Amino acid sequence: MSENVIVTNKVETSPFEDVRSVKGDKVIAESYPGYLVDESKISGGHAEWLLFPTNENEIVSIINKMKEENQAITISAARTGIVGSAVPLLGGAVVSLERMDDFIGLGYDEEDSRWFVRVQPNITLNEINEIVKLKKIEENQSIPPEKNWIGKFNEEPTMFYPIDPTEMTASIGGCIAANASGARTFKYGATREWVRRLRVIISTGEVLEIPRGKYKAKDGVFIIKTAEQEFEFKVPSYQLPKAKNAAGLYTTPEMDLIDLFIGSEGIFGFITEADVWLKEYIPHISNVAFFTNEVDAIKFVTLLRSSSKFKPEFMEYFDNNSLTLLRDTQKVDPKFVNMPNIPEEANTAISFDLGYKEDALEETFKEIGLMLEECNSSLKDTWSAYEERELDRFKHFRHAVPEIVNNIIAERKKKYPSIHKLGTDMSVEDEYIGEMMEFYHKILNEVGLEYVIWGHIGDNHVHVNILPRNMEDLELGKQLYKKFAQKAVSFGGSVSAEHGIGKIKHEYLEIMFGNEAINEMRQVKTTLDPNFLFNPGNIFSKEVS
Amino acid sequence: MLKIDIDACTGCKICEKVCPFAAIIVEPETKKAKVLDGCTLCGTCVNACPFDALSIERKAVSEEDLALYTDVFVWGEWERKGEDIHIKGVALELLEKGKELAEKLGESVAVMLLGKDVEHLVSELFQYGADKVYLAEHELLENYSTDGFATVISSIIAADKPSIVLYGATPNGRDLAPRIAARLALGLTADCTGLDINANRQLVQTRPAFGGNIMASILSPYTRPQMSTVRPNVFPKPSLDETRTGVLEKIEVNLKPLSIRTKIEEETISSEDSINIEESHLLVSIGRGIGSKENIKMIEELAKELEGTVSSSRPLVDLGWIPHPQQVGQSGRTVAPNLYIALAISGAIQHLVGMSHANTVVAINKDPEAPIFGLADFGIVGDIFEIIPEFIKILKAEKNK
Amino acid sequence: MKIVVLAKQVPEADKVAVDPETGTLIREGVAAILNPYCEYALDEAVKLKNTYPEMEIEVIAISMGPPFAAEALMRCLELGADEAYLLSDRKFAGSDVWATSTALKEGVAKLVPDFDLILTGKQAIDGDTAQVPAETAEQLGVPQITYGVETEIEKKRIKVKRETEYGYQVLSARLPTLVTMSKGSNIRRIPSMQDILDARKKKLEVKSADDLGIDENIIGLSASPTQVDRIFAPPEKAGGALIPEGTDPKVAARKLYDFLKENNYL
Repeated sequence: MSENVIVTNKVETSPFEDVRSVKGDKVIAESYPGYLVDESKISGGHAEWLLFPTNENEIVSIINKMKEENQAITISAARTGIVGSAVPLLGGAVVSLERMDDFIGLGYDEEDSRWFVRVQPNITLNEINEIVKLKKIEENQSIPPEKNWIGKFNEEPTMFYPIDPTEMTASIGGCIAANASGARTFKYGATREWVRRLRVIISTGEVLEIPRGKYKAKDGVFIIKTAEQEFEFKVPSYQLPKAKNAAGLYTTPEMDLIDLFIGSEGIFGFITEADVWLKEYIPHISNVAFFTNEVDAIKFVTLLRSSSKFKPEFMEYFDNNSLTLLRDTQKVDPKFVNMPNIPEEANTAISFDLGYKEDALEETFKEIGLMLEECNSSLKDTWSAYEERELDRFKHFRHAVPEIVNNIIAERKKKYPSIHKLGTDMSVEDEYIGEMMEFYHKILNEVGLEYVIWGHIGDNHVHVNILPRNMEDLELGKQLYKKFAQKAVSFGGSVSAEHGIGKIKHEYLEIMFGNEAINEMRQVKTTLDPNFLFNPGNIFSKEVS
Repeated sequence: MLKIDIDACTGCKICEKVCPFAAIIVEPETKKAKVLDGCTLCGTCVNACPFDALSIERKAVSEEDLALYTDVFVWGEWERKGEDIHIKGVALELLEKGKELAEKLGESVAVMLLGKDVEHLVSELFQYGADKVYLAEHELLENYSTDGFATVISSIIAADKPSIVLYGATPNGRDLAPRIAARLALGLTADCTGLDINANRQLVQTRPAFGGNIMASILSPYTRPQMSTVRPNVFPKPSLDETRTGVLEKIEVNLKPLSIRTKIEEETISSEDSINIEESHLLVSIGRGIGSKENIKMIEELAKELEGTVSSSRPLVDLGWIPHPQQVGQSGRTVAPNLYIALAISGAIQHLVGMSHANTVVAINKDPEAPIFGLADFGIVGDIFEIIPEFIKILKAEKNK
Repeated sequence: MKIVVLAKQVPEADKVAVDPETGTLIREGVAAILNPYCEYALDEAVKLKNTYPEMEIEVIAISMGPPFAAEALMRCLELGADEAYLLSDRKFAGSDVWATSTALKEGVAKLVPDFDLILTGKQAIDGDTAQVPAETAEQLGVPQITYGVETEIEKKRIKVKRETEYGYQVLSARLPTLVTMSKGSNIRRIPSMQDILDARKKKLEVKSADDLGIDENIIGLSASPTQVDRIFAPPEKAGGALIPEGTDPKVAARKLYDFLKENNYL
């Protein structure tokens, strides 16, 4: 039976002086500038403190100290996010969890019949996968110890943690805070579905131990009982889009408490420990199909998505501009020498991975052949490979477009230092993807902006990258961005399907949910963290607009 | 084959742990070692087994048979520079090494010199340390051919029974040596980086494998001669002793045009013929980070200022931006300049094997994790397009001082 | 016309390393691949097949290796070989260059006695000896042309453009001949889904020493003149001074100048 009341556990505090720290905004800016930025590259981060706790006790002592000093806390891990969530715009303390990166252990959930790993927040996805895939787990790491799971695990086929947000150097804590997703979300969902249990330290300096399934809202209400007080709050009442979404707090009237923390961008506290599920790893066969027009390509996506016999690992889309950019770069840049040659006549490409099972291959390929023919392409025109090296090349192909775009922008920055890429992150419901693509092209071509469109078409979630040539282009692009957001929302989509809101997309969250909904979110935050101690500025600002 | 003494085996699993090829396991049911398909008979487990439960059965050859073979032979490869013919550097390096091995064995070193009108090179070979030169001159040896050279050398070896034969691991040396090895059913070890004589008077041949990630020592215990190829610039060159002389033996050659089955149709010398990066003392080497062909000009300017030569890693050769003879690495040349400046070269192992003998290595790369830094005496993490122009400015300014 | 492609499966060489403490190979996570130079050879064979349709060229891939080396042959079939044979037998274990070329010679002579051309890679990236092709040619009694980059066939002769130390050379020889390829297209071919489907319908057979009637005294360890005495990690060279990221280029350039000056390179 689930309940909606959770009681906190007390954590002993340790002397604040024992925490490894750096103090002074000047020395931090000069010697530790890396802690003031993340992959968003937004500037303006500054901090009075830089702290490196090693355990929960030290985190509690940091919380107490910062409450005393009335300083904000920005939680920091691998800093691979691209919406500035780890950038301390309001100063205060940056708390880097880099010394909490242990692989704690591995267990088997007998109720769910699934394997899981228990890890500290700063371990990276690469590290988890290396340990799990190569089975580098010690006998004494069984959870619980008396079950001796390790021997049994070693007999299992290769397992892995399936979420791949492209940047595999991301930390698991960051991924959970962001509900990270990626290309493979099409098949495996986002991080949320893979979290079994969390430990979270909230603003009172106490810890919540939250296994999935135990604490569920009653009519949207949760009660948190701490040593000294009781927080009661109601989860927001808005409807989440059916499309892939990373914007705003998760909410449903009977939601699991664990889901409030997943994707909350760190505004409720520190994740200090997590259990995440594992899955059997099946080798992949990577494919890239080419089409002479976009309509055929999208039709192919629809057909592939509807197959009852198999489900692709992911489907990625590349528009004509992307392919042109790739072809042109390939001719002149030695970094792309190894990339396969893109056929001259190709207008649009769909890259899709399948699970590779030799005995099912023929049937699957034949079915895909029929789909391709229906879309004026063929098995003959579709690249396919399963050798490790080839998979790497295909990966290189998929990641080349954003890489080239970033290079071009970096070049243009030399002339216009404040120019930057405009990248959208919007999803729509299945049936609207064709219309949405048409809308993007029409509007962008009308005003004559330089752009490419690529991304996770399986989830109807493509990235429009506008490449401004000058400051006028940048302004024009920003205006279009808003138009796109409104259109995506009207198509049942999200203004941010995977990157989150962070500190840079507040206005789009407003377009999506409206002011009232944001106030409901703010209400939850104010109850749990009245002083906006944790990550102020993420998702929404403290001040009501 | 690998034999397991089942009675002696305790199932301790040490063999399983040390096997480099996962080719031996201890079966859970029997608790005894078992050999699997991947066994290469490398002997690692035999050495590791604390209970002497493992052994490798090899065929035996009598000591007397082996003792019939004496002396170290070196193939005296030459090259043309314009109209002139010169002994290749690697042949001289091998002569020096061969002399050292011969001294350890109490034997002598001889050079096999094949060609047309090459007798004038003989005295130089003596001066560099040859005790004897086998001179084989013939019309059909004017240019290198597999058939012609393999036939003549095989017959010298068969007649005079050396204990060791060394070849330069040049394109021609690597073409020739295995042909002779197959003809005479001999062992041959390629690209040795170390040669020595062990207590049993055997040649210990050390070579890199897996692109230089591991080293292996190899013996040819039961066949003679023991044969190796060695890359240029691996061993030092001998010094010249003008007073030295030796024994010249002229070999009668009976080649017929028909016995040479390949025909040279065309010979193209790249325009960079004058550049031999193997002999250059200062190389400025560039990798894929150079970005565009246009940027090579800056590198050429730098090389000119430093009085060095431009070389590159493979991707630029693949793109046709740098001619093949200037490629350093596994599929290119092995170089050993005094100074090697690696610009925007990450340092894949295939590249490193071609330049790891350089005296001093300087590397500039954007990526602090680039493997080249592991080899560099002086490294800069940074952008070559920012640093090199500044560096050229300093060079010019200092020169004008 | 029949072209035999000799192919080898190799571990991805740059990922293999030795544990400096135990001296053993670390092979965890290292994939097995078709030797890239053998892939150039196969590509060349397919190119010849497409260039000269009138010659009715058949491409037959042959490899010696453990049972899983069939994967490399499957790749050959995907890239256009017509059929493939794997010589696989415990009796081949421990083969050095000589014994390997003996087994390949026996395999070719028994499976494709009427071959016209043998194409293979100039070397395998695991052993890097570049010796097996020449020894196989010698044992088969055919001429060899090594380090090829382009080939063409003209009236029963093959013309090969090959890399030399100084540039290029074109050699020709009467077929049958063995040619090793040192280079192919910059960009590796990628099979299509159709190629992958078709490959699975082609002939891929495993042959033991007995199947081929090979005398076991001429193969494997007992026939190998060389022996591996010891495997060990190469000595590590410690890196020298490193100017860190973000240093002013002018400062870095000056430091480089000082370093070269101190070491008498200027």
